Order: sequence, then structure tokens, then C-alpha cells
Amino acid sequence: MPAESLDPKLVQEFLSFSKNVVDAPKLVPAPDEITLESTPFDVAYKEDKMRLLHFRPLVETKTGAAPLVISYAIINRFHILDIQPKKSWVRKLLESGIDVYMIDWGSPSNIDKYLDFDDYVNTYMDNCVDFVRKESQTNSISLQGYCTGGTISTIYSALHPEKVKNLVVTAPVIDGWKDTTVVSNIAKHIDVDNLVQTIGNMPPEFMYYCFSILKPFEQGLEKYYRFFKNIHDRDFVDSFLRVEKWLSDTPPIPGELFRQWIRDIYQENLLIQNKMYVGGKRIDLAKITMPIFIQIAVGDHLVSPECSMPLYYAVGSKDKTLRIYPVGHVGMIASSYSQKQILPELCQWLKEK
Amino acid sequence: MSQDVGQPAEYYKHVSLFWTDLLHLMSGKPVALASVGPMRNWANDMKKITAEVIESHEHIVEFNRRLSEYYNQLSETWMEAQKKVNAKATGLPNDSEQLEAYKRIWIDIFENDFTELFDSEKFGQNYGKLVASELELTKRWESILNIMLHSARLPTKKEIDEIYKELHELRKRVKKLERKEQDQNAG
Repeated sequence: MPAESLDPKLVQEFLSFSKNVVDAPKLVPAPDEITLESTPFDVAYKEDKMRLLHFRPLVETKTGAAPLVISYAIINRFHILDIQPKKSWVRKLLESGIDVYMIDWGSPSNIDKYLDFDDYVNTYMDNCVDFVRKESQTNSISLQGYCTGGTISTIYSALHPEKVKNLVVTAPVIDGWKDTTVVSNIAKHIDVDNLVQTIGNMPPEFMYYCFSILKPFEQGLEKYYRFFKNIHDRDFVDSFLRVEKWLSDTPPIPGELFRQWIRDIYQENLLIQNKMYVGGKRIDLAKITMPIFIQIAVGDHLVSPECSMPLYYAVGSKDKTLRIYPVGHVGMIASSYSQKQILPELCQWLKEK
Repeated sequence: MSQDVGQPAEYYKHVSLFWTDLLHLMSGKPVALASVGPMRNWANDMKKITAEVIESHEHIVEFNRRLSEYYNQLSETWMEAQKKVNAKATGLPNDSEQLEAYKRIWIDIFENDFTELFDSEKFGQNYGKLVASELELTKRWESILNIMLHSARLPTKKEIDEIYKELHELRKRVKKLERKEQDQNAG
């Protein structure tokens, strides 16, 4: 094509983009130099590799309000809930006067390959809840779970309803057969027994593969194009690098937990049918009778709304709220929208309980 | 003695195992002189390792078949998506605004077509079998490692797994006992 037929704006844009790529290392820190923890916390309780973090209050904690224990997912780390001050889920709750604890499941090693739902629910989570109940001298706490943490919180609330005053579930994995995502398609077709028996813990690389085929062109190409295009926008770059660093920090998943999760929830769909067993006890979702607040993202490509929604109809709670937001899986918890719309509603709900 | 070696893969396996066994038998007696030395172990191990390598052949074939199908599905989807982009973006002028529009069309169509592929039964089935064949190869590799570890009188993966399981059970029992004691003290 002759050079004179090219639009000068196009040439200018190409040159400007190339310059941004060259200048990038001078303008932005290396991901390793970024620290993801932004709100100060103390490690209140520790068991094996699991830690219970207690965030330091930012305002005076409202007396009488139950402390909130957040159960993060078993994929990636808890940092996304406190990714940066302007988009921090935790900070917003603290600013509303809520006492916030967070369960960090840690990074399991080979010795932890036999940890299962029973250990996560009836040992780690139960001990964390008991610790908070004792510390705050209350009989019951508010419990929130995000993604697979929502599944664990749901199971816990069904087994120990007397210890949970309010339940908040954010994009939980509940009805595996109704999940329409790529993740569920893969989950339904793998021989999970063979997988766990052969390799033990689920390696992060397997998760990275699943992430890579979720939105391969939007997430694999377009977002990096936008990153270099906006390289001079400090807020954008800071937010981008933090999320990228968080995405690439996925601990392995204990083999037995992974086996039960894939088989019981995605393949046999036992949880929603009240047929799943944890620690020898059947999980009956109708036993969840405390006030429940369910948050679902319409654009969720990891846990589809159809997968989370059945929980609303399965629980025994009379006081139940379902909120559906026009965001994605991560946008639900770490975005300007969540700060303006989702969190104010949740804070209000928690304060009223 | 006649062997049913009609299939090429079976024939290959049979011939390989025949020579491995024969060489092992021929060399076994002189090597047995040093019955506690490394040479005897080495001779025994080589027979087992060779058998594992021969057995892994069919898994390599299956893995390659599934991997070819995997890339075939990707390339077919790519070609179809590109055709749709070409049909939709025909006649766009060559300026910067239209380049952005072209990029959007390209991403939307590719995203849609590839998500449809990744969501499909045929992709799920092939991917499941691809992973299964990788696992079979992993098992063969671990068997080879276990032979060498056993020979060096080191614990094998299976033995370490048994220890992990035992430790997990012990941790559980200790935690239950601790909790029981706490409850008794509190009561």
C-alpha cells in the first residue's frame, strides 16, 4: 500500500502507541515492586497455613453490630478485596464502622493434599468463627463468602446456623448443572479422581489455563493494548498492575478439596439437591434460616448468575435479599461501581441487622 | 510360541519386550555375582524402566492425537471467525476511526466464536481426554522415578503419600482431642 494513502492519524496513533511501549518501563513499577496489602491488619489467629486477619478500625466501630468474617475464595488470594484504597471492599466496610475479619486460606503444599471440605468448614472456618465470637463476646457473627468462599460459607451456615447471625454470599458456586461458563464445561469433562490421584494438589498452572480461555481476546489481547495506550494514566496503570499481580498469585488447591468441589458441585450437583455430605453430615440448605443477602453479577463469566441464583429459593430464611448488578465477577468486588452502588447497599443491610 | 501380534503397536511392544527380556536373562547371571552392588540393581531397574517406556508409547500416541484435535478445533474456529470478520468489515475505510471499529468487530466475533467452542461438548470431551492422556504419561514417568527411588532405598511417591495421609489423620485427631479438652475445661 503506498504510504500517501494511509490516514495520518493512523500513523500518528501507531507511533504514539510504539512510544508508550518503549517508555513503559520508565513510567511504571515492575509488578514485583508493588505491594497488594493496603489496609493495615493484625493476624488474629493462625492454624496450619490458614490465617485470620483482623483489620484495624478506621472509624469507631458501631457497638452492637455483629463482626463480619469474610471467607475469601480458594482460588487466588484475598488481596482483591483490598486491592487499592479507592476500590477496597474491606476499607469501605471499615469506614462504615463494621469490624472486619478475613480468612486467608494460605498456600497449601503437598503435605496438605488431603485437606477437604470437612477441614475447611468444620475445622478452619469453625475455629475462626469461634475465635471471633470469643474476642467480640457475641454469640453469632456476620459471615460473608466470595465465589468458592461463598460456597464454603453457605455450607458452614447450613451446618452451624446458631453461630451465623447474617449471611452474605457474593457470586457463590451453588448449582453446578446450571452454570453456563467455560469453567463448568471443563469441570464436567475431567476425570477428577484420576487427576487428584496422579498429581495431588491442583497446580496454579491448571487455573491459569482455565482463566486464559474465559475471555481470550478481551482479556488476553485487548486489556494489554489498553494498558500501553493508557500508560500515562497513573490511576489506570496502578489498578491494572495490581489486578494483574493478584491474578498471577494463585496458590494450589488441596487435592481432596478440589476433588469434592468438582465432583459434588459441578459433576453430580449434590449441594443444591441437599445431597452433599461434609464431615459425615448432610448439607440441607433449608437449615439456613438467618437473614441472607445474595449478590450476583450479570456479566460474571466465572460463576454464571444461573449457578448462584438457586440459593435464594433453596434457603429456609424468611428475611432474604437478592441483588443483581450489571458488573463482572471481579467488578463486583473491586470497582468504582462496587464502591458507589454495591457496598453502600451491603453496609446499610448489615447495619440494619 | 506364537504371539498375537497382528497390530503394529502390539508387534512393536512384543519385539521390544522380547529383546529386553532376553538381554536381561543373558546378562543376569554374570551381574548376579555382585548381588549387593549397584550393577545388579541397575540391571533389574533397566528392565523395568524399559518396560515402562514401551508401555508409555500408546499414551504418547493418544496424547498426540488429542493435542492435534485440540489445535485443529482452535484453527477451524479461527478460520470461521476470520471469515465472519471479513464479511462484516468489508469496505471499511482505512482511517483511524474505522480501525478502532474493525478491532471491536474482530474482538467481538472472535470472543463469541471461541467462547462457543470452549463451551461446547466436543471441546470439553477432547480436553478431558487430552488431560487424561497427560495423566497416564505422568503415571508412567512416576513409575520410572519410583523404580529409581526404590533402588536408591529412598521413599517412593506412594510411600510419601501414605505418610501425608497418616499425618493428615493425626492432625485431625489431635485437633478433635484439643477441642474436646477445651470444651471440657470451659464446661
